[in-house]
Amino acid sequence: MGRRKSASDSLAMRVWILLIILNLILIPAQVAAGEPNEPMKLEISFPAETGGWKWDGKIRNFNPRTLFDYMDGAAELYLAYRFQSLDVYQLEKSGQPPLTVEIFTMGSSADAYGIFSFERQDKDAGIGQGSEFGGGMLRFWKGQYFVSIYGEGEGPELESVIIRLGKEVAQAIPKSGPAPKLITYLPDTQVGLIQKSIRYLRNHVLLNQRYYIANQNILHLNPQAEAVLAQYLRGTHKVHLLLIQYPTEKQAEDALQSFKKAYMPEATEKGFLQTEDRKWTMAKRQKEFILAVFGAPALADADELLKATEAKLKGKGI
Amino acid sequence: MKEPRVITRRDFLRGTAGVALTVAFHSGISAMAQAEQKAKVVLIRNAEVLTVGGKVHGEILRNMLDEALRALLAESETLQAWHRLVKRSDVVGIKSNAWYKMPTPKELEVAIRKRLLDVGVAEKNIAIDDRGVLHNPVFLNSTALVNVRPVRTHHWSGVGSCLKNYIMFVPDPSAYHGEACSDLGKIWTYPLVQGKTRLNILSALQPQFYGRGAHFFDRRYVWPYKGLIVGTDPVAVDAVGARLLQVKRTAYFGEDRALDVPPIHITVADKKYHLGVSDLNRIDLIKLEWSKNGQGIHSQRTGSYHREVFPANLISTDHL
Repeated sequence: MGRRKSASDSLAMRVWILLIILNLILIPAQVAAGEPNEPMKLEISFPAETGGWKWDGKIRNFNPRTLFDYMDGAAELYLAYRFQSLDVYQLEKSGQPPLTVEIFTMGSSADAYGIFSFERQDKDAGIGQGSEFGGGMLRFWKGQYFVSIYGEGEGPELESVIIRLGKEVAQAIPKSGPAPKLITYLPDTQVGLIQKSIRYLRNHVLLNQRYYIANQNILHLNPQAEAVLAQYLRGTHKVHLLLIQYPTEKQAEDALQSFKKAYMPEATEKGFLQTEDRKWTMAKRQKEFILAVFGAPALADADELLKATEAKLKGKGI
Repeated sequence: MKEPRVITRRDFLRGTAGVALTVAFHSGISAMAQAEQKAKVVLIRNAEVLTVGGKVHGEILRNMLDEALRALLAESETLQAWHRLVKRSDVVGIKSNAWYKMPTPKELEVAIRKRLLDVGVAEKNIAIDDRGVLHNPVFLNSTALVNVRPVRTHHWSGVGSCLKNYIMFVPDPSAYHGEACSDLGKIWTYPLVQGKTRLNILSALQPQFYGRGAHFFDRRYVWPYKGLIVGTDPVAVDAVGARLLQVKRTAYFGEDRALDVPPIHITVADKKYHLGVSDLNRIDLIKLEWSKNGQGIHSQRTGSYHREVFPANLISTDHL
């Protein structure tokens, strides 16, 4: 207590970062699919501190089986992105709302990107490999880790400590990792891409969450078929582009026929139609990819977006 | 066996206002369900029910509930209205919602419990519970249920509302999360629940009209609406709640921002399980609005509330 604050801050932070690194390295190693792992118990002599918020010294750990205990129905979302483990930290400061830090270990960096992209809506905070900050919540991904930090309140002091903590946690994650390759096949902002709208999706339930297509899996999405959904601004209209990559061309063709039969039975040959909202839907296959546009204000808009996507794929040697 | 019909986005585009969806399920729709039945829902608001800090004024809330019940059941006396819903001999489970970010207001639970006691239901025969209903003797032996929870967006079902609130009556809630929770209505057909629900109440005191997944409560997307949505038909109550959230989203974002997930379960509860009316055109909304200056267009005075009746599909930004 008699020590200079800056010195204790610095020491506590170093210890805290070290513990995070240890945790990030050790916990995933303990997790085996479908097997509960023992929560990691760390003996520490003093709490970490950031901007006056002190870590309570506990790490709550959850695995794929126990995640439901922590977040009820939200668990499926994380499991869809091959969730492995979650570590939850609490930090407190007298007279201030508590802070919660959640560090999710996902199956891969693509999965970490996926879970980040699924809810993304706020301004970039420049943390990790992709981030957003809004409403008192920071979300970012780096490597195979997805992190969220939030406080149970508002105010500039709380917001600044959340950002500071986020930077420290991001620095403690040793390695970055690649985003899904599929997102690089999207036409860019020149044709109206809304960057924040990109969603990387692993199954049709998640697709329906972001853009409802059908109650059944008519696009045959599966763990081997990745999808990316993005919005494009065409005039004042937001148009959805869906790009799905299948393991084989045959699977892509089967999925396309299934989609057309269920969604546009009157236009299976043409591959496009004006739907009941007077907007246009268009779908086609290119090799092992399905390209589909929904809600285009004019047929030309749908056509232009698909052509831009085809060009992008060809440019990548596909 | 005939394959179940695929319900696509286009079915929604063909549908009528709000969350209505015209779908003929392969299971068929009974003649009774096909009849043009109507439902009645009460939406009551009181400007004084919340303090500036968001605390609930318990007495005003209880008065709102009383007023809503009288309007719903066309009774002049509160206890008469309650007597039409529950008997003294009933064993009553009050199915609440304990999600810690936005639980059912305690004051609302207290108000319901008090009225049940006033009606003569024995104290030992009343329980308030959420996650423990499958182990609660009162719920296990219940003859009547009161369903109460806050209305909010939900990242799996589109809307967290009365139909969704019964998910705790099954041991495997996650099994109902698929397909936008479309089959939530099925839970209402199980013996523990079937036919027992006497009243459905959505707390719209501070609804959440936009969400960020299930685990984070974003204060930007909550607003002090200061209302209750009350009805005996859970589907109609949910349809009104969903419509309110949709209208608020459009007003807030300045664009037609539909719910992230279409609340299919509301329509399915109507068309497949025949639990009530999902078509907003066939829901009479009795809107009771308290105002200090006593002014109200198209209204008649009812105590200090103005009464307005209109089809629920006409809920618009004027009603926010």
